[in-house]
Amino acid sequence: MQKNNKSHHNPEKGDEDVISSLDLPDIEIPEIPKEVISTLKSRKKHMCIKKEGNESTPACNQASVPGMVTQRSCVYGGARVVLMPITDAIHLVHGPLGCASCTWDIRGSRSSGSELYRNGFSTDLQEKDIVFGGEKKLLETIIELNQLFKPSAIFVYATCVVGLIGDDLKSVCREATEITGSRVIPVQSEGFRSVNKSLGHQLACDALLEYLIGTETPQKKVNPPQKEGKKPLQKKRETFEKDPASEDDVLESQITSQVTNDICVNILGEFNVAGDLWAIRPLLEKIGVSIQAVVTGDSRVEEIANAHLAHLNLVQCQKSSRYLADSMEERYSIPQVRVNFFGVEETSKSLKSIAEFFNDPLMMDAAENLIEFETNRIKDAIIPYRQRLTGKKVAVYVGGNKAWSLIRAFEELGMEVLMTGTQNGLPEDYQRIKETVRDGTLIVDDANAMELARLLEKYQPDLLVSGAKEKYMSLKMGVAFCDFNHDRISSFAGFQGFLNFAREVDRAVSSPVWKYTPSINGSVFKNPLKYPFKSKTMFNAKSQRESNCKVKSESMKCKKSVKECSTKPKISPEVM
Amino acid sequence: MHTTTKNVPPENVTSAGKSPENNKKKFAVINPCRMCQPMGAVQALLGIEGAMPLIHGSQGCSTYMRFQLCRHFREPINVSSTSMSESTVVYGGEKNLLKALETMKLQYNPTLIGVTSSCLTETIGDDVKGIIRKFHESYKDHSEERPPILSISTPSYSGSHIEGYDKTIKSLLESLALSPESSDKNNVINVIPGNLAPADVEEVKEILHLMELDNIILTDTSESLHAPLNGSIEFLPSSGTTLDEIRQTANSKITLTLSKHADSGGIFLKKRFGVPHVTLPLPVGLENTDLFISTLSSLEDVENIPPELERDRGRLLDALVDSQAYNYGRKVAIYGDPDLVSGMVSFLTEMGMEPAIIATGTKSNKFSTDIQQIMSRTGHDPLIINGGDLYDLQQQVKKTGVDLLIGNSYGARIALDENIPLFRVGFPIFDRVGAQRIRILGYKGSLNLLDQLTNTIIQHYYDEAGYELMDGAEN
Repeated sequence: MQKNNKSHHNPEKGDEDVISSLDLPDIEIPEIPKEVISTLKSRKKHMCIKKEGNESTPACNQASVPGMVTQRSCVYGGARVVLMPITDAIHLVHGPLGCASCTWDIRGSRSSGSELYRNGFSTDLQEKDIVFGGEKKLLETIIELNQLFKPSAIFVYATCVVGLIGDDLKSVCREATEITGSRVIPVQSEGFRSVNKSLGHQLACDALLEYLIGTETPQKKVNPPQKEGKKPLQKKRETFEKDPASEDDVLESQITSQVTNDICVNILGEFNVAGDLWAIRPLLEKIGVSIQAVVTGDSRVEEIANAHLAHLNLVQCQKSSRYLADSMEERYSIPQVRVNFFGVEETSKSLKSIAEFFNDPLMMDAAENLIEFETNRIKDAIIPYRQRLTGKKVAVYVGGNKAWSLIRAFEELGMEVLMTGTQNGLPEDYQRIKETVRDGTLIVDDANAMELARLLEKYQPDLLVSGAKEKYMSLKMGVAFCDFNHDRISSFAGFQGFLNFAREVDRAVSSPVWKYTPSINGSVFKNPLKYPFKSKTMFNAKSQRESNCKVKSESMKCKKSVKECSTKPKISPEVM
Repeated sequence: MHTTTKNVPPENVTSAGKSPENNKKKFAVINPCRMCQPMGAVQALLGIEGAMPLIHGSQGCSTYMRFQLCRHFREPINVSSTSMSESTVVYGGEKNLLKALETMKLQYNPTLIGVTSSCLTETIGDDVKGIIRKFHESYKDHSEERPPILSISTPSYSGSHIEGYDKTIKSLLESLALSPESSDKNNVINVIPGNLAPADVEEVKEILHLMELDNIILTDTSESLHAPLNGSIEFLPSSGTTLDEIRQTANSKITLTLSKHADSGGIFLKKRFGVPHVTLPLPVGLENTDLFISTLSSLEDVENIPPELERDRGRLLDALVDSQAYNYGRKVAIYGDPDLVSGMVSFLTEMGMEPAIIATGTKSNKFSTDIQQIMSRTGHDPLIINGGDLYDLQQQVKKTGVDLLIGNSYGARIALDENIPLFRVGFPIFDRVGAQRIRILGYKGSLNLLDQLTNTIIQHYYDEAGYELMDGAEN
């Protein structure tokens, strides 16, 4: 277990200007009483402080307490995030309209080709479909959509009601495949199936394994012409094309890959949110590795269908894709390597581990040169950001895998992580987090809105990193916010991505607006409203108004309504 | 003058020919133009002081609705869920619901809990009213106060968020309104604005304040969804319609409903308590606002129309005249909630624009009647898409071509593809700031709308020296 996590910064040439994170003073964590913050009894075991000798991790992977404003979503949500970035497929939600109308085009993943995945498709089940079954409507819808768009595949997602009324998705999809000649893939993602949306991830991977990876197209047909740029990779992989826009031409000439054997990998768990993949791809190509398929950022159905031909699986997002990697290892004997392209050190480690796996001296050389070049470039560029950000405090509350990788990245910037937590982490996620953080950090599982607010009030960080629903609460409390989920606006992966990340964090923390916001103090929360619940006698507005009205002369009849009257006692913020 | 409006046959197929080769469709919904019932119910409940909505269903419902609401209003929104899972679906959601009510009371202590059902719990047939009764009974011997708990039936497989809003208002009045003791009405009026932006509700309140009319707004989101940053955190709406006000609504002398699709509350008050009920078109533009003001001034208490309103009307008229040259004859496609759309269409015709395509996602006969009424006055002949989606809209826009698109943020891609400007109004708007401050009601709001629409036209169709671009748009 790593005890000293202060710095992963390489101390080398010309470093005196950079404020070394080794010089940071220890932050004073206030003496944490047994109860971290006031919350429900059943929730207390979901929080724990890392201390010497304290081996426990927070209780996790349990049902949320009903009534808490939880940040979790449902199994359909889990399946959706994995599969919806597939660009040239139709994602049809079989159920009432609400599921589709709240969730279309929000994933944030980008495409270099087809934009079909950004449309929201639904079968819009009505009452009579609930009563008589929705299978017929589903079949008709699939046939109609296939004729209109001619997609490479149609994914059909089940929702809560569909599970209840017992629509047989599998048989409808089989029939539809025969009729239309396209792949029609069922995903049994009813929302209520599990407390943890990881089941959704697993169901999505199951759908890919069973219906897509390693299968032939059902019928020979011409794919619709795609926008310029991306050609689907040949099955035989005789040549691989470099992407048209590479970053450094200087680097190109220095490190032209002399690797002649075709090395093909899959990247699992990369969703090309805000263009992350487009930062990773050039790095891999510079060390001579081409990408067969990405699950599922900027991907096409045919690429994923050929994923079983790759030499290696790079697993980035553990939560959603480890299951897929394990299954592919079992079925197709494709080995897996864990990678993480977020942060300078992690990206370097990942590139090295890929080169080591293939054990090719040319590749390892190329990797070393690339890492050295990029690290030097970034190190200089990051100096101004580090100067402003060093010593600032951060709270992190994101999905499973990101919490861990963010901690490292923040330490590279010289910032302290006070609190970290996830919505739906599994025990192994918490174990890794625990190994990464320093003593005194709070680890919390499935925090809801009120707990998060209380934690922010207690720890008073300078920055909160989380998702869209927590954003405005944190801003209202005067805590800067950086989005790390699908509302991100720039790519954070790779070396350049780390610079973008530093810039975003700087933008959030160093803004002058925080000078004007009131600071958080102990009495932030208004008293919970204690309404005198009036007994059931009639409340006479007129008499109330006149009796309340302390204004002025008899001659002037006050026409202000009860609400407008300034003398009426209102619930006011607690005086500090 | 007799006009024929091309009304869309029930399958939303826009003209002859049902084969998909003509890009028409019968079954699928592509890019929906409406949301489901619980969304409307939640928005209505957020206008009540200290209220908290609870969606009885799976977690996804409340999380995704919170997400949509948060990114539109840019405010923290708290909606609870009963977190139904596989076992609760089999055995019924009673345990989860009781636990949820208990938790909410303990943690948040709201003044009112609104339990909305979802398609899941409607299908398994949970008796929500019975469970709530059970909850109350378990507290019978305790002295502590319990908040009133409403049960609103909002299955998402029928209707849309408009219906959810409407049902919630009616349910509030049904459960809370007390019968009047005497038959004398007081001088308060009830106003049901409908599912509008907070700035619009604020405009209504300002007009009523100018006319010195005491009012109860059902429900008032003008403060809770447009809250200032003042160093304190509130988990529940800190100001809005109070429960006491709702309790007295039966004493009011009239109920004014400004959105025709939100009139169940008014109808209920009239039926049960005899409170007179008047529905008006949404006061957008000159004629509709005139109607609103004159209805208000016909009430007894009001002596004369305040000079500020006269002045604002004059300003609106002045602006209409100033900008008529830019706006005359511009073809517009508009989509959104039915009342919003019909109110805006009325104003667009006053401006001189030509509504070419009028679309709503919520299928409604009232809507077609309203539009036809407006069109019979003006002589236009638009295409109406009743209960369609944005795919239908895009196909029509491709066919007929328009100059301006008006609606929520989901139309941004259509606008980009067709190279026309998009003016954002409605719900949700997530790619611009200030969505909750978009004001379109009253003279002031119409003036604001007029300025922005005209400037959008100028930006897109005139170059920087002021000359009209004849071949198309610049940016």
